[in-house]
Amino acid sequence: MSFLMTQAVLAGIVNGCIYALTGMGLAAIFKGTRVINAMQGEFSIIAAIATVLLMRGYGLPYWAAISGGIASGAVIGAVVEIMLVRPMNARNAPDDSYLLLTIGLAMTLSACVLYFVGRDSYGLPPIGGDGVIFVSDAILQEHAAWLIGIVLLLSLVIRQFYHKTTLGLSMMAASIDPDGAATSGVDVRMMRTCTFALGGILGAVAGVLVAPIVPVNYHLGLALTLKGFAAAILGGLTNPMGAVIGGLVLGLVESLAVVGVPSGYRDVVAFSALIAIMIFMPHGLLGHAGRKGG
Amino acid sequence: MHRWFVLVAVIAAWAAVPVVADRQLVGLLVFTAIYVIAGLGVGLLLGQCGIVNFAQAAFYGIGAYSTAYCTARLGLPNAAGFVLGIGGSAAIAFLIGWPVLRLTGYFLALATLAFGIIANSMFFEWDLITGGELGVGGIPKLAIGAFVFDTPERFYYLVWIVVFVCMLLVRNLMGSRTGLMMRAMRDSPEAAASLAIDMHWLRTKMFMVGAALGSIGGSLWAHHINFVSVHSFSIERSITLLLIPVIGGLNSLPGIVIGALFVTFVPEFFSRFGDFHQILFGLALVAVVVAAPNGIIGFGAAIIDRWKTSLATTDEAK
Repeated sequence: MSFLMTQAVLAGIVNGCIYALTGMGLAAIFKGTRVINAMQGEFSIIAAIATVLLMRGYGLPYWAAISGGIASGAVIGAVVEIMLVRPMNARNAPDDSYLLLTIGLAMTLSACVLYFVGRDSYGLPPIGGDGVIFVSDAILQEHAAWLIGIVLLLSLVIRQFYHKTTLGLSMMAASIDPDGAATSGVDVRMMRTCTFALGGILGAVAGVLVAPIVPVNYHLGLALTLKGFAAAILGGLTNPMGAVIGGLVLGLVESLAVVGVPSGYRDVVAFSALIAIMIFMPHGLLGHAGRKGG
Repeated sequence: MHRWFVLVAVIAAWAAVPVVADRQLVGLLVFTAIYVIAGLGVGLLLGQCGIVNFAQAAFYGIGAYSTAYCTARLGLPNAAGFVLGIGGSAAIAFLIGWPVLRLTGYFLALATLAFGIIANSMFFEWDLITGGELGVGGIPKLAIGAFVFDTPERFYYLVWIVVFVCMLLVRNLMGSRTGLMMRAMRDSPEAAASLAIDMHWLRTKMFMVGAALGSIGGSLWAHHINFVSVHSFSIERSITLLLIPVIGGLNSLPGIVIGALFVTFVPEFFSRFGDFHQILFGLALVAVVVAAPNGIIGFGAAIIDRWKTSLATTDEAK
């Protein structure tokens, strides 16, 4: 493999992991509440900027600031669910209205970021400093290696969470059969709130991991959401693990395309591939039958 | 009798606006009209076929670039831009729609979104035609014979007449056999299929009609501001165009007008608050989605209903 190819593959994996994490958050929320969350990318930018401000403004140490940023994601997720999604759910609002709600919230939150912290981009110091790792003859930032590791680990944790813990199983039950779950003593409304908090946490982790590589600004949320959405759909939407595979495929297709075609066509290639996969592999890359969306 | 009176009053008010209102308001109403035309295309798909179209800005862009290329670059008559735009949009809508419209629900929404992003990248890269980042300037004003629509007031009358014609056509379409077939398809796909309605072809046709409407809006817009650039045809624009029928009310033509008024006037009204205005616009949107699920039209109808019921009950009490 030539140097250029290796470098492209590495870049694809790193980008793919970010898409995967955003996609996991989207898939988790869709799995738990049947809501497509168009504000997933906003979780990320708010968490990243909150982390930067906690470090700069309050002088908190790195890990404390990151914890604060991630907590902000969970809080926003829970608040949105309690204040807006819950009342709409109570009156059986149609599916598309949730999509519109989250689009409106995405606009509002990104406008809030613009208003309160301005147009600047905020970067975080990379985990592991500025060290690099050589993979054959290509270079990988040490932070990127951490990112890949954390995303893979997190995907396994999420899987175990849904299959082994009481909370995870209750969240699934509350989504699959709300009445049945309520009969068995599951607090369905609480579980839906937890699902949004979980989506917020996943989005926030994506934010603090991406900020050292690409400084975030108020405008980045939509782009993240779109790529995460694509990753989630490729993986089958209801399966957070699938989003990891979807994200990696998307990242690799994108970065390998740049080797062959001009870089301006990156999105064209990625999204054409997405359309083609949706048409020819209607159950996602994994071929799961559980891919019900419409 | 009562309906005719309302109609005459609306037409009189419409005709009087450019005479009494200031130029800024007239300018905004011109943009409203252009949004109504493009929004009609989205509303037709969403309300009648249940297709969420996140790519209307692409067709809007095709119309605008066709006009820009035909008039400013090639020096062809203005009509050529419209014809090329409508033909081009319909052809592309067919090529995209035929494979993509087999999908449903969120997947279809994502497919149109993906197409919107692809189209935006293409506009950016094909700078021979689109001028890329720099855009295309020097698009002439529209003219009929020697009469040039060179002031916002003149253009106002022209675009609103186009709006009226488009609405009439859409209304006829909805009342026609095709419209009945669409309604059948929307309310009961199984029954429609058993009546030998070719739903896939019907959806593709409607997608083409919606695209053509978007293209007309784009061409008019290019003639109005005389300049097109790639930034005008982003995903944000598609979202705005999608919001028009949603905010106003899905299944009603006046709803589209109200939605278009909302997306032009609300940001303008809030713009006095600086960057804060985007927060207010977002919140206004959230409020409409949460408080008025059937759009502003549905919300108004519900209030009038309640008012009538309360009147009726007080009458009974007497």
